[in-house]
Amino acid sequence: MGDPPYPVVTKPFGRALVDLAAARDDVVCLSGDLTRQTEVDLFRDTFPERFFNVGMAEQNMVGIAGGLARDGFTVFVPTFGVFCTRRPFDQVAMAVGYPRLPVRLVGFMPGLSSPGGPSHQAVDDVALMRAVPNMTVLDVADATEIRQAVFALADLPGPAYLRLKRGEIPVIFDDDHRLLLDRAQVLREGHDLTVVTAGMMLPASLAAADVLAGRGVSTSVVHVPVVKPLDAATVLAACAHTRATVVAENHSIVGGLGSAVAEALAEAGLGRPLRRVGVRDTYAEGGSAAHLFARYGLDVSDVVARAWELLDLPGEPPRAETVREPSGNLGPV
Amino acid sequence: MQGTDDQARGVLRPEHETARRAAARIRLRAVRMVGKQGFGYLGQALSSAELMAVLFTEHLRSGIDRFVLSPAHYVIAAYAAAVDLGMLTEEQLATYGDDDSALEAIGTERTPVVDLTCGSLGQGLSGAIGLALAARLRAEDRTVYAFVSDGEMEEGQLWEAAMFAAHHGLANLVVLLDCNNSQVDGPVSDVTTVEPVTAKWQAFGWHAEEVDGHDVAMVSAALGRARSAAGPAVVVARTNALGGITCLPGGADAHFVKLTPELVEQAVAELEEAIRG
Repeated sequence: MGDPPYPVVTKPFGRALVDLAAARDDVVCLSGDLTRQTEVDLFRDTFPERFFNVGMAEQNMVGIAGGLARDGFTVFVPTFGVFCTRRPFDQVAMAVGYPRLPVRLVGFMPGLSSPGGPSHQAVDDVALMRAVPNMTVLDVADATEIRQAVFALADLPGPAYLRLKRGEIPVIFDDDHRLLLDRAQVLREGHDLTVVTAGMMLPASLAAADVLAGRGVSTSVVHVPVVKPLDAATVLAACAHTRATVVAENHSIVGGLGSAVAEALAEAGLGRPLRRVGVRDTYAEGGSAAHLFARYGLDVSDVVARAWELLDLPGEPPRAETVREPSGNLGPV
Repeated sequence: MQGTDDQARGVLRPEHETARRAAARIRLRAVRMVGKQGFGYLGQALSSAELMAVLFTEHLRSGIDRFVLSPAHYVIAAYAAAVDLGMLTEEQLATYGDDDSALEAIGTERTPVVDLTCGSLGQGLSGAIGLALAARLRAEDRTVYAFVSDGEMEEGQLWEAAMFAAHHGLANLVVLLDCNNSQVDGPVSDVTTVEPVTAKWQAFGWHAEEVDGHDVAMVSAALGRARSAAGPAVVVARTNALGGITCLPGGADAHFVKLTPELVEQAVAELEEAIRG
């Protein structure tokens, strides 16, 4: 694992998908008028016969994906997270989830990483996709995981939702990192606090662990790229060895990773104080990711502050620097 | 050229007699299936009997073509039609409406006979497009028949799909549209204006022609032309959701017909006569 500031790359998803399609002629890609933005201009230009731009018609796009998958194709459906989950939810459930077809919904610009305001900010996508039986839900953290996720999902018989950052993607993990569809990963082991996280909140969670370590708080960091099915055993084992749990996610606190972890702890009878760091059941507004993450409590300092409260530590929580990630000044589209 | 003209006009040929009798058998079986509980989706079988009969007996190539039933509550008609093809038995039909029956009233993923069906309306054409694209990608000679109902035209997704199919010139896609002017809240024309139906599909770039959906010869001829059209094609079938049985009261709720035992008896007698005749 590297250290911040992390190097960044562009189009890791687009490149991985082209490589997968070169190896497998059953891979088909659709687009919903966001071809370059979802990096599949690379696929379109390499395999035009297997690329279909459905236009701004996500219900139809998901239905077509279901039909293609029913006849044996592995279908990737990249668009913004809101447009492949919230907008065509019934189609996802009925045309993909229920028949358990190999459709891969790929949602870019998760949570508050979109400057486009509530219409473009997927703060409920994980909750929605978790509620679909048969759906595997991934919230990956870096370019290494994105590439591995594309290949891992290629062999999954059922449907999946892959949630990933758009634009400049950090490289956090080395090439020997292995994303497994049934495993959470303990990246740091501590004995006071467990931070469970995924996706774009991984860098902030690691930074929070460093800040806390500087004040003598030993922190486990559990990275959960596969939110569903949740690797409850790994999460529970980590939480059981510490006094409190903070779950940090770039998503609503309702229905996402925080809910999944809380459910697992409660059902296992593991009583640990828990706080969810996430969007607090509200809609945000347009703005830069750095601005919105700070305003809506998704910063390193928020993870540190919740830990400080939970562990009932004296005085003010230590100061924590924001993790600066290149945003590439993305527009809403 | 006489044959071609006859086909165009929908002149009844001996093979159509097979379809006509098959339609009567679909109605008879549907009456029995619905009659057991005294209510159900009989109107859907009555409006679509000739469409299903013609499609199954004269056009659909078993094991090659695909059959998408967009409105899954029409599946009663497909069950009834499947008996003639040896895909289901009369004994299986008799379980319709029972708990744990394989023949659910609204079709699901475990439904036999159909390749794809959608209880949530307006979605079938998109799935059919997926199947048509799959056939095109593999260069397979296969026609995807999508049965769609007129009420489904109120769902926006249907028009998203219609635009896509025309843009991509999906000549292996044929829609059989049952315009029975019936939906849950009453006549479609009372709920919203979907007319002019044929002109709408034409405006969306489809080969579209309108037929009397109870005239087996016209339906068959139109389906033949639809299959050979250069792009996606729709047969707009004007039907009656209480059609083919004279004993049903005129004002009945066609979407979900209620049948007394006396009505079942009368309808069965009438349909058995039609099958003999």
